[in-house]
Amino acid sequence: MTKTYPKASRPSLDNVSVAIEKGEFVFFIGPSGSGKSTIIKMLLHEVTPNKGRIIVNGKDVTSMRSWKRPAFRRSIGCVFQDFRLLPNRTAYENVAFALEVIGKTKAVARRVVPEVLELVGLGGKEHRYPHELSGGEQQRVAVARAFVNRPLILLADEPTGNLDPDTSIEIMRLLDRINRTGTTVVMVTHDSNIVNQMRRRVIEIESGRIVRDQARGVYG
Amino acid sequence: MRVKYVLSEVMVGLWRNVTMTIAMIITMAVSLTMLGASGLIYTKVADMKELYFENIQVSIFLDNEVTEQQKAEIQAKLDADPLVAETTFVNKDDAYKRFQDMFRDSPDLLSAVKPDVLPESYRLKLVNPQEYKAINEQYSNVEGVDQVVDQSRVLDKIFNLFTAGQNIALVAAIAMAVAALLLVANTIQVAAYSKRREVAVMKLVGASNWFIQAPFVLEAVVAGLIGSVLALGALIGLKVFLFDGALAALQGLFAPVSWGEVFLAFPLMAGVGGLISAVTAWVTLRFYLRV
Repeated sequence: MTKTYPKASRPSLDNVSVAIEKGEFVFFIGPSGSGKSTIIKMLLHEVTPNKGRIIVNGKDVTSMRSWKRPAFRRSIGCVFQDFRLLPNRTAYENVAFALEVIGKTKAVARRVVPEVLELVGLGGKEHRYPHELSGGEQQRVAVARAFVNRPLILLADEPTGNLDPDTSIEIMRLLDRINRTGTTVVMVTHDSNIVNQMRRRVIEIESGRIVRDQARGVYG
Repeated sequence: MRVKYVLSEVMVGLWRNVTMTIAMIITMAVSLTMLGASGLIYTKVADMKELYFENIQVSIFLDNEVTEQQKAEIQAKLDADPLVAETTFVNKDDAYKRFQDMFRDSPDLLSAVKPDVLPESYRLKLVNPQEYKAINEQYSNVEGVDQVVDQSRVLDKIFNLFTAGQNIALVAAIAMAVAALLLVANTIQVAAYSKRREVAVMKLVGASNWFIQAPFVLEAVVAGLIGSVLALGALIGLKVFLFDGALAALQGLFAPVSWGEVFLAFPLMAGVGGLISAVTAWVTLRFYLRV
């Protein structure tokens, strides 16, 4: 598919075609402005392509009406470089908030949230506020929030961009564990270290075009 | 839990921005008071028209030199007229009695006027009081008739005054409503901005649109309803201090404003206030949050 932003001289993504299987772990790499983040936005139905189709979980997202977007998003977890946590809520409350606003009861949250916080390695830190946690820990909260609904797909937009190398590795281990539960992980990054260590499928994008698609690839 | 969540968000929202909330409530209250008052005037004018027009009379005053034959002709013409429901003849003595009654507080005037100065007249009740003009045309040129006087002409002037008052209240209500509307839009924008992080997360994890919007819309609606309660208070004040207080002496002239009518204005004000707030908030959110 092709996406051209209004006022842009060239398309952000030009005739890109990718198939990602269920349960895969995929890196999108490439320089800034190459169109990596546009892919994430399109998978979230935040922007729609001008041409072509996007199919997520067997559903055609391209023609999806905006009122169906909330239900669609419940099947996708999302992690960002800047964590996007609510500063006035504890780790527990941040994760529980994501459950409660989609209609889950407090009882469900009480059962599920400690479980998922334990899974991401934050057992015992449930009642800390984001400013009381390190960057890595904050990103773990964000991962917990993304994963608490057991989504089919986890999208990660440069999740290690704000973290030091050691912490980044820990987050990657966490994403790897989540991937092993059967969740498809799509990660956008330009962290060469991580890509080289993980040895997973790498799709390189340059100027809106796919220049490489390699299983068990390196940063290049 | 969700209802509790939404309600607590509404309260927090109203409190967070309390000066703006107060401004919103006051403009809303003033606008709705004007609306309610104009509604009351409207029903009062209708009441009074009915009351007055029922008793309204057209008087045909006769020349002092009118002959018996002319009188008989006029009487016959009136009896045959389909526009006239009832005719009463007032002779000089009756006219003098009425005169004495009317001016009993002015003995000087009474002593100066003798019964034979007053003209004889016919007092007519019309089938339809609005058709006074036709009567005037038919009878003012008949031999022996001095002039045709219609009370409704005077009343119309009074009613025009009321209608003008009603229009002024309506215009003021609309102007204040526009101000209230802009304030609601502004307040909702500020509220949405201060909750932008929460909204972003809610959109990301797939909270339904109504759930994201409900606290904001309800915040505006609650303010609108508080405004309408204040407006009801203002109308009660108007009734107690103006109609039952300062204007009590004119009670016989105006149809009285009943408590029932004052309280009936409340659903109107609450409905308009709530609806305007809700629609404005919703439209603002559609542009501002794009949900």
